[in-house]
Amino acid sequence: MNIVVCIKQVPDVDDIKWTKENNLDRSQMLSTLNKCDIWALDWLHKMKNKNPKLNIVALTMGPNQAKDILNYALSKCADRAILLSDKFFAASDTLATSKIISSAIKKYVPDFDIVITGQAAADGDTEQVPVSVATMLDISDITNCIKLFNIDDTGIELEQKIDNKRYRIKSGAPCLVAINSECDEKYPLKINDYIKAQDSEIETYGFSDLGLDRNDVGILGSPTVVNKAFRPEFKKDAVLIENDIAQSIKNMILEVQ
Amino acid sequence: MVKSIIVYCELLGSKFSESSYELISKARELSDSYQANYKIRAVALGLLIDEETKKLAYSAGANEITLIKDNKFFEFNNVSYAKAFVEYFNQNKSDIILFSATTRGRILAPRITTTLQTGLVADCTALDFIKKDDEFKLAATRPTFGSQLMATILSRKTPECATIRPKTFKAEFKYGDEGVYSEYQLNTTPKFLSELGIEIKSIQKEIGSTIDIAHAKMIFCAGFGLYDGAKNSYIEKLELLADKYSAQFAATRKLVDYGTVSHSYQIGQTGATVEPELYIGFGVSGAMQHIQGMKNSKKIIAINLDESAPIFDYCDYKIVEDAKKVIDELV
Repeated sequence: MNIVVCIKQVPDVDDIKWTKENNLDRSQMLSTLNKCDIWALDWLHKMKNKNPKLNIVALTMGPNQAKDILNYALSKCADRAILLSDKFFAASDTLATSKIISSAIKKYVPDFDIVITGQAAADGDTEQVPVSVATMLDISDITNCIKLFNIDDTGIELEQKIDNKRYRIKSGAPCLVAINSECDEKYPLKINDYIKAQDSEIETYGFSDLGLDRNDVGILGSPTVVNKAFRPEFKKDAVLIENDIAQSIKNMILEVQ
Repeated sequence: MVKSIIVYCELLGSKFSESSYELISKARELSDSYQANYKIRAVALGLLIDEETKKLAYSAGANEITLIKDNKFFEFNNVSYAKAFVEYFNQNKSDIILFSATTRGRILAPRITTTLQTGLVADCTALDFIKKDDEFKLAATRPTFGSQLMATILSRKTPECATIRPKTFKAEFKYGDEGVYSEYQLNTTPKFLSELGIEIKSIQKEIGSTIDIAHAKMIFCAGFGLYDGAKNSYIEKLELLADKYSAQFAATRKLVDYGTVSHSYQIGQTGATVEPELYIGFGVSGAMQHIQGMKNSKKIIAINLDESAPIFDYCDYKIVEDAKKVIDELV
């Protein structure tokens, strides 16, 4: 079973830094692994320990520093790691990004069975890339996955949550699964995991390796473009309640009832 | 060629979803207010649209309604729906396509727009036209970076497409209840999920699935400050407290993700948007996605032990105290 797990390094949206002009100050922001991806790698770590024959390739598109998350993926579960990095990829919107990722999967993991991704990245939050990649690979997608049960030669079994219903689903390969759950790492790394990661090489590919057109990537390949960006403003000045807390709350409740 | 906006309408049985009417009205309002003369076309995939729905759609602002009809459409899957919509679209093009950013909308729209090799702006909270070189361009605004940065986005290719967060706009049933109805027959046969290698083994309805927190008048919201591992005692206490005061219990995303509370109670970007008269947050820190989901509350009381909790910038009354203690006092 050949699995491609797509991961993303994102700025820490829980600790955004702003410039004086209220723009994002990326230079001051820390980068982290996208939360849904932590969940995915953690589960694959557990699965790989159960079934060492699973062949896992971790893939990311990003600048050179994204190697950090690939090293983490190698220590968790990945047998191979691929970095897609090129100045021509910068400013790609979701369509261009999906083109780059799906081209890389077609070229460097042509016999893939299952692609696993996070459903949304903490920065863009569009939830578009997983479905877009699946469309370009001409495979079906199962999104809103909140639990994974098993993955073997017959396919993948998972739980999907849509609105208020939970669906237990079994899908054959090939397919794409998008994880929509966040949690902290449950399966901690051991010394051997770190050693294994150190011994593995990260494959790095750029624009010319993928055989794409300049009009497919970056700004040229992006049909959507940001016209302006601004901080939402609706702050309030709160009144501090220090005394008779319970009574003050009860009074306000009574006003509504 | 006549300019047109397609509003993709979700069919629930033989009726359109509420958010379909919201988008039809917004599309009509945009076109009319700018005198841009777009034809508003409601398009749905399914088996049947009933007569009452058609009247409502016209009176919300649709000029035309089209049903892409096939018996296999009683079961949703985005692969088949997208293929069918694209087949219809290639013979009946529009300049703009709007989708509701419901769970289905958010997985169907990117399949359609990727196939059409055009752009898509996701989960918008505002729509407008701007004029560029004598042409109207759709300017779609959406939250990014955990709702902390808003971005207004233009599309450089047609059709210009966007998914819009439900309840962003209001449906207005003020136009005439007549229009043109048609059905489109597909040339290709859609596939069932099973034909795509996907088997649904079981379906479980979540407990509390009939809960609708979006229309509650008073909300007591549990935040991660009440989290106690598997014990849940303060979350349960808050549920009882809400019951006692006839308030609606709700929760933040973190509590739902950690598995302690059902998603039906979630307020926030991927949960419900609420507008109660009174919102009280118990141990809610104020992640921006959550704030976006409750910022229209008439009165907001926030209780958190952490003085620097972001929620204190967005509330009317600030209580720096252990929410568990406050719950005990109120019980």
